[in-house]
Amino acid sequence: MNEFEKKEKQDFFIKFSKSGSVGIFKKLCSKALKKSGCAFLDTEYRPLNSSRECSHLKIGKYLARFKFSSLKEYMVFKCDCNKPCLSFPVMQGSSVYGHALFTHLDREPNKKTMDIVRICMELALKEFQKEQELNKLYETIRPRAIALSTIHTIHRLLSSTLNMDELIERIARLTLQVMRSKHCSIMLMDESKGYLIPKAVIDLDKEIPRTGTLYKKIKIGVRQEGRVAGTGKSVLLRNSVCVPLVEEDIIGVISARDKINGEPFDKFELEILITLAEQAVIAIKNAQMYEEQEKMAYGSIKTLAALLDSKSPNTFTHSDQFVKMVLAIAEEMKLSREDIASLHYAALLPDTGRFSIPDEILKKPGNLSRREYAIIKKQHMESLKIIEHMEFLKPAIPIIKHHHERYDGTGYPDGLKRGNIPVGARIMAVATAFEAMISARPYKGKRISIHQAIKEIDDNKGGQFDPEVVRAFVRIAKKPEFKNMLGVSA
Amino acid sequence: MKNLKRLFKNGAARKILFFFNENPNCIDTVKGISLWIGGDTVIMQKALNTLVKEGIITSHKTASTTAYAYTNNKKIVKNIEKYIKKFKGL
Repeated sequence: MNEFEKKEKQDFFIKFSKSGSVGIFKKLCSKALKKSGCAFLDTEYRPLNSSRECSHLKIGKYLARFKFSSLKEYMVFKCDCNKPCLSFPVMQGSSVYGHALFTHLDREPNKKTMDIVRICMELALKEFQKEQELNKLYETIRPRAIALSTIHTIHRLLSSTLNMDELIERIARLTLQVMRSKHCSIMLMDESKGYLIPKAVIDLDKEIPRTGTLYKKIKIGVRQEGRVAGTGKSVLLRNSVCVPLVEEDIIGVISARDKINGEPFDKFELEILITLAEQAVIAIKNAQMYEEQEKMAYGSIKTLAALLDSKSPNTFTHSDQFVKMVLAIAEEMKLSREDIASLHYAALLPDTGRFSIPDEILKKPGNLSRREYAIIKKQHMESLKIIEHMEFLKPAIPIIKHHHERYDGTGYPDGLKRGNIPVGARIMAVATAFEAMISARPYKGKRISIHQAIKEIDDNKGGQFDPEVVRAFVRIAKKPEFKNMLGVSA
Repeated sequence: MKNLKRLFKNGAARKILFFFNENPNCIDTVKGISLWIGGDTVIMQKALNTLVKEGIITSHKTASTTAYAYTNNKKIVKNIEKYIKKFKGL
């Protein structure tokens, strides 16, 4: 037997002597043998785990004298205190792993007792083998099951956003977490497919500036990332691991560097990063498609706005500053991404509802007569039919429809009050009034200063305007970038 | 870390720390973690919230789900490792 086999046997025996199945074996044997101590001796009769080390050591030394003649047989003998002792071999097939030693027996075991001990030993060994197999399964399958669950969780986390910047940042953070690395970077191919553009570079030890060298584009074939993008083959090095992001073509690379515990990356971690990259590609592709769809939608809206503007400039659309202001208020109020997108569409076409209202009413300077007001109410809904066939604009219609409502219920077309007015419409109402006050349109009355307009808006909170929206607006108006937003020098 | 002693006295928090020390690459929801370590999700959620506050566990929140992962702070990880060894009597 070589040294390796010898060590394996000893390991098996040590594990067996400590296992749960041995506990039952000891209990059953102590009943059959009438109160006895049990210890385990290795093939050289050295005690493994004994509370009475000295006595067992002594007995072991005594038994060692017989080891060549009696290795595979049980042995009954008397110890120093003249009590019977039993040494029983722990065997599997023809291999002996060690011995179970029973000391201080009341009487010498008879054949029946020995049969019970033999059966108990066989049962204990079988149980132990089962235990071992289960442990092996636990050790091999559990980490993979946990890894699989991790990948599933990552998939859920990644598929919950369609915002590209947010997504890339999230992929990078999750990579750091899963790979236990200090550094992660995600690079995507540019349109020419000649360069990799770093989209997220995160380092646990330091902030990476977007203007720094780590954010400079890399030529395909140059550096580790460039080579991976060029060949499409993953690279596993001691301190770094880099994997291509592959859909039909290579769309980029994801790399992790320096594990936090200083250990090298292994094949299992490479496998995890490859799986994570597969999830990342799906999410990136979805986000890219969504971005394209959004661009198309904005393109369609802008075309529509240009068409409306060609009929009567500044009647159906507002300035870019107006759109910026509306979005700034929505973000200040922490509206959801979907709500902000609908509001954005609505802000690009705020007065589509006026389309079929006669110009003499639209551009009338003073108050409207009852008849004129009735025409506005009627035509408002008619005009909105222009856009209701555009599916993506449907969430924007209630905002466009109700942004002339007043918070106190005296607005049009439905005289809605407070929370019944869509929040986007309440935001647009503030922005529309503010824009009207600071602009010099012939039919909007006298132009006033920005400061006066803010005060006017604030004075009307709770009446014409939603106080919450006004508070958000005032907060924005106090920010230094507000004047830039309006295109006025600070 | 003075709070570790207190955290180790909390059965659920201790189980979570043992689990993440053994599986530092894991990212999972409270349901998943409860399944791996065998525990009530409500108790686990409470323990996870405490560990997030202590900076030992990182939470990744989205609109539909919250996932939890082990901290990347080397110092904290080492401290926990020490505590676990001490706890196991190694």
